Amino acid sequence: MDADPLAADVNPGHPIGVAIVDDHPVVIDGVRAWLATEPRLRVLATGDDPDAVLRAAPEADVVLLDLRLHGRMVLDKLAELSAAGRRVVVYSEHTDPPTMLAALDAGAVAFLAKHEGREHCVGTVLAAASDRPYVPPALAGAMVGDARPDRPALSDKEREALLLWFQSMSKASVARRMQISEHTVKQYVDRARIKYTRAGRPAATKAALLARAIEDGLVRPEDIGIYRSQASADRPTP
Amino acid sequence: MATESPAAVTAGATLRPRPRLPGRARAAVAPPPEAHAVADASDRGARLVAVVIALAWHLVVGLPAVLSAGSGMAAPAVVAVGWLVTALAGVATGVRLLRGGLPPARRLAAALLVVDAAVFAAAGERFLFSTANWVWGGLAWFFLLALWRRPVRWLLVLLAAHAVIALVAVVLHGATTPADLSRYAMYVYGTSTLPVAVFAGAAALTALARDGAGTAAAALAVAAERAAAERAQGERQARLALVSGTAEEVLSALAAGDADPADPAVRRRAVLAAARLRRLIAESDDVPDPLLHELRAAADLAERNGLPIELVAVGTPPELPVDVRRRLADPLTAALAGARGSARLTVVAGPDEVVVSLVTPDHDGPDDSAAPPAGDGPVEHLHERDGEIRWTQTRWRRT
Repeated sequence: MDADPLAADVNPGHPIGVAIVDDHPVVIDGVRAWLATEPRLRVLATGDDPDAVLRAAPEADVVLLDLRLHGRMVLDKLAELSAAGRRVVVYSEHTDPPTMLAALDAGAVAFLAKHEGREHCVGTVLAAASDRPYVPPALAGAMVGDARPDRPALSDKEREALLLWFQSMSKASVARRMQISEHTVKQYVDRARIKYTRAGRPAATKAALLARAIEDGLVRPEDIGIYRSQASADRPTP
Repeated sequence: MATESPAAVTAGATLRPRPRLPGRARAAVAPPPEAHAVADASDRGARLVAVVIALAWHLVVGLPAVLSAGSGMAAPAVVAVGWLVTALAGVATGVRLLRGGLPPARRLAAALLVVDAAVFAAAGERFLFSTANWVWGGLAWFFLLALWRRPVRWLLVLLAAHAVIALVAVVLHGATTPADLSRYAMYVYGTSTLPVAVFAGAAALTALARDGAGTAAAALAVAAERAAAERAQGERQARLALVSGTAEEVLSALAAGDADPADPAVRRRAVLAAARLRRLIAESDDVPDPLLHELRAAADLAERNGLPIELVAVGTPPELPVDVRRRLADPLTAALAGARGSARLTVVAGPDEVVVSLVTPDHDGPDDSAAPPAGDGPVEHLHERDGEIRWTQTRWRRT
């Protein structure tokens, strides 16, 4: 792997390279059209084989991956790419919570339901490129309903913010309901997402998310425990 | 999404992991209560036989021999009292067993061993091997009653104690000739084998019956679950047929050029068909949960009136009292009636909390879902409008 996974944020002026992997050409065209509305994004390669796409565009900053390729769930491929430091945004019509949580465990930077549309798609890719969390409503629902025994421990406020965001899909409405600012709502939601970097096996992408969250002051290193040493080792050079 | 054919969509939906029903897991661990009832019933015949054998032998064989031996014995009164005590204990135990209970095994066994030793001592040398020394053959059947449904090794231990007492008596009475000792061995063997056989047979029958009942109950549970799943599947297929019909209509009209994609009415039809398909895909429960079923029915109704509605459920609701379910669902269905434009209905369920929410665009129309009175039992009901959205939420927490 030649591309530095953290290069995107190091050169803010540089456009963000995106690779799209999907086995439906019409979906690729649709996503490409969505991403074209954002000048900072550039689609470098598309196709239905992750390896071929990344050979064509090794410098891609973000990979948009359809979780189901040719009738098969490619969670193993997702884990492989994430372990190698690729920022993978999974987008899928399979929005059942177990699948979404499994994708996060495998190291996906974000999970986007296909019906969540242009706004969330662009936002997710932009956030992913800078190793920042982005939690679309469907993913918030999966997190708040997570009943697995080894789920991360969320605070009451984090749970409530996730729940209301999932219900209303409007951060302004959540802010009004919780009587806090929209910014704080986003902080609660993002903090919950960062706690998920501890679930599943370690991956370079998770460490990068965590390192950036610490750098942004979203979480404190001592809140995270076991990941502290790994995070500081993977911390990007400013 | 809208680019996929309905057939491909359902194929994907069936591959999704399904939550296992807790009931099925429980059935595999412990036999259901019905199994115990069956085991009890199958045991009844054997119990009756054992009680009848013990008491009949005691009365028909033991009593006449004791009476005819009379004063010839060393201490006839002790033998008679032993007989009476055993008869009373036998009747009490028999009544208890036939009513489905179990006697206090340890105390009863200890009492029987005391009677055993006393009668052996009191019978005297002359009557040692006669039927007047009734404990030889008759007592083993009372051991059987005392230890009913206990492990068979308890019975073996008791019979061994009985044999030791007899041996001690034989030796103390000086009956140590080879003929006496072989008689002793024959008596011990002859009086122990039949009770042990009956006891072990009854235990085996009970175990078999319990297994059989357990299997039958598990099979019934599986069949009931399958029937419910088939019904759900049937309903789902009927809805799929309806949805594919409407989706096909829109698509073929578009393909044939009869419908203009710029026409708001055509767009609305497409939106409705897509929303229906999405909801169908989101259904992942094998057996319909009553709360989800209710909400789904309300959503279907609202949709038939032309409202595109999204229903997303996370988690499986626990079993809820009807009253709680009604308080959770009713405010939502009421709010759904006043919804315009579109609606998002969500359910987040865990074992201790269920939250149902409906969010629709706010509009100038009347708002019938007035703020509810506070302190509404275990279900909290919130309703608000902020100019952007109308938000109804009900939340149940386990108290």
